[in-house]
Amino acid sequence: MSDALLALSGLSRRFGGLRALEDVDLEAREGEILGLIGPNGAGKSTLFNCLSGHVAVSAGRIRFAGRDVTRLAAARRARLGMARTFQLGKAFQSMTVRENVAAGLGITAYGSFWRSLAGRASGGVRDRETDAILERFDLRSQAGARVRELPMGVQRRVEAARAFATGPRLLLLDEPAAGLTHGEAEAFAEMVRGVRDAGVTVIVIEHNMTFAMRLAERMYVLVDGRIIAEGPPEAVRADPAVVDAYLG
Amino acid sequence: MDAYLISVMTFIGIWIIMAMSLNLLVGYAGQVSIGHAAFFGIGGYTVAVATVKMGLPFPIDLVLAAVVSGILGGFLGLPALRVRHDFLVLATIGINFIVVAVFQYTPALGGAYGIVGIPPIAIAGVELLGLGMLLLVAAIAVALFVLKALLLKTWFGVRLIAIREDEDAAAAIGINVASTKIWAFVLACGGAGIAGALYARQLGSVFPENFGFVESVTVLTMVVLGGAGTLIGPVIGAIILGGLPEYLRFLHEWRYVIYGLLLTVLVIFERDGLMGPESRLRALLTRLLRRAAAEP
Amino acid sequence: MAETITNIVVTGCLYTLIAMGLTMVYGMLRVLHIVHAGVFAVGAAVGLVVFQTLPVGFWPALFAAMLASGALGVAIYHIGYRWVLDAPRGTPLLVSIGLFITLQSLLEKPFLLGAYASAFDAPVGLPRVQLGALAFTPAQLAIVLSTVAASGVVWLVLNRTRLGLSWRALSEDMNMARSLGVATQRAVALNMFLGSAMAGMAGVLVAVYENAVSAHMGEVVAYKAFVVVVLGGLGSVLGAAVAAFVLAAFEIGISTYLGGLFPRDAIGFAVLIVILLFMPTGLLGRRFD
Repeated sequence: MSDALLALSGLSRRFGGLRALEDVDLEAREGEILGLIGPNGAGKSTLFNCLSGHVAVSAGRIRFAGRDVTRLAAARRARLGMARTFQLGKAFQSMTVRENVAAGLGITAYGSFWRSLAGRASGGVRDRETDAILERFDLRSQAGARVRELPMGVQRRVEAARAFATGPRLLLLDEPAAGLTHGEAEAFAEMVRGVRDAGVTVIVIEHNMTFAMRLAERMYVLVDGRIIAEGPPEAVRADPAVVDAYLG
Repeated sequence: MDAYLISVMTFIGIWIIMAMSLNLLVGYAGQVSIGHAAFFGIGGYTVAVATVKMGLPFPIDLVLAAVVSGILGGFLGLPALRVRHDFLVLATIGINFIVVAVFQYTPALGGAYGIVGIPPIAIAGVELLGLGMLLLVAAIAVALFVLKALLLKTWFGVRLIAIREDEDAAAAIGINVASTKIWAFVLACGGAGIAGALYARQLGSVFPENFGFVESVTVLTMVVLGGAGTLIGPVIGAIILGGLPEYLRFLHEWRYVIYGLLLTVLVIFERDGLMGPESRLRALLTRLLRRAAAEP
Repeated sequence: MAETITNIVVTGCLYTLIAMGLTMVYGMLRVLHIVHAGVFAVGAAVGLVVFQTLPVGFWPALFAAMLASGALGVAIYHIGYRWVLDAPRGTPLLVSIGLFITLQSLLEKPFLLGAYASAFDAPVGLPRVQLGALAFTPAQLAIVLSTVAASGVVWLVLNRTRLGLSWRALSEDMNMARSLGVATQRAVALNMFLGSAMAGMAGVLVAVYENAVSAHMGEVVAYKAFVVVVLGGLGSVLGAAVAAFVLAAFEIGISTYLGGLFPRDAIGFAVLIVILLFMPTGLLGRRFD
């Protein structure tokens, strides 16, 4: 268990009387595309928020890249190699697409005030790196557009590109296919596979079962804050407990 | 040139420095403050004490003013970490009042009578008065404008805009939000301190009531009217609002009524400020500049 | 001691009146409604003018001032706020500031209040009252009674009428409420009317209590009202009332027993900041009730 890239043990999160997550054990292995599915309100986004450090855990441990990160601030975890997107989409609205992606590149400089002053956010090498990432996410043609003027689907891609720009070991994608047409979702799935081939482990939260099943190599099913099933997509799809949860 | 005109322009230059510094906090870091005049005052009083009581020369007093205001500004950043939006606005107003009260009630700072007799700046034995002082203020304003522009191009500039746009997303790309906010306060308040230092030298005196709520509101107005989050916005705002009472002099007692109405109307028509990204003025100026550049 | 308590009660009532109106407007429009202090001053001015030029007593003059202030509030919404409701945060604040400067400068004109304070010597026609050790002068009694009455009206409207319900819906989510068919313009206008009328009422009461009306009397109120509103939780009417008395108690308590160590206004803000550090969303949190 301990040589997995990410390992959760006994993770719980309670809000007052509400148990959002209860005793979750989960593991992500290097180089895989992991799916996390479950009905609405199951606690999937809460799980991501606990993973990335945006929400504190009530109990349990998170190990990432060999370290216990349970108490680490979100920005520290990001600098350790954990990147993410958000369910509601949080690309920087007043910046252009290019500026958003470039912002991710600055991660090595953000750790200290003086290092932040030392580097420029654009020009030369920086621009070439940004171009490569824009190309990968099919954003070249819209590089100069301001994000707030772009449709949601494109904004999510920008957000994913920005997360990728931080050079992560683990990428958490929260409902990346939401609001996308079938063609767009397929294209995005290709981009995700490309990201994995570039050496990044990916965990995808999806509400859209078909998309998740096609993309993920292994899945966890979360219902009412608990993991009720785990395994390859075909096994999970056939699992009676899972069928029950979605239909019942 | 008319001595009065030079004096007005010098004060406008000082307002420009103030507005540019507040813009860093409000327009770029997204932290609204209606207490900036407090740091203007801290800079002014630092110079007053440094020159009148300690006999320190220029530029030591200026550097001291910037450092003291900057450090105290950093402390203001700490409550800003816990308190957001409108609550933060109120807290900054409160800090302004408390600082003015400290000026008013501390005997060593002259109490309600302030400190007078601040000598003009002397460089190599030559006193800077009138035009000389105007040139110095202008030079410092230009230098700070350039420094700010350069700062915004660095990764720190990205940190500022990122925390303004979305703190969660900023943290997700490795930005330490708290540290960024505090540094924003340090830099902005340090800038206000520089403005205050020049103000004290220009006026020759500092009084507690010159650094209160009304002045803080005026500076914020300059920033928002000109266009928060743009480089040129606060400059335009300072020129207009700093000079407006003078330009409207011909209206005599109706000056402030027109001032208030003009402000209201301008802000309604250009909600992102006169030099905001999509403002008519910016579009006009861009067109004119392009045409001028195209002429052979 | 008894006098201190009366002072706290009276000051608390005045702060409640001013803050209640302000928090109603803020709760709905989310604007830092600085010009509320200008409406306060206009109310006092109208009260004075009506009392001096018409053969009526204090209470009709007060009522006239409330009507005028209410109308002014509605006008302010239509002239200014309506256009900038979805603009970035600084813009409505600046509109409010611009209107405040305009109002105060107009009040300064010789044909209105002029540059100096005017006396407002009006008998309120109430008796002196003795409650145990506490003695209330007629003016103080007028303040307490008016505050109780006004608070009662606000509570009734908020909790027992459809108007109050629509206010609460609008303050939660204006766009949602609008699309659900809530008569937005009318509800907002009435909200501004009632909130501003309370400012005018406070203006007249303060003017009579201190026997002074001046163009700049709003300035002191401007920021103090915000201290109360924020302490009480922006948009919470009950919170504003509680905070009003907490602030009055602190201010008067500290300045009475610690002498002139620190100006009263700064005390208010020091209290605010300390409370905010422990409770970053005010005493009762962000609610509209």
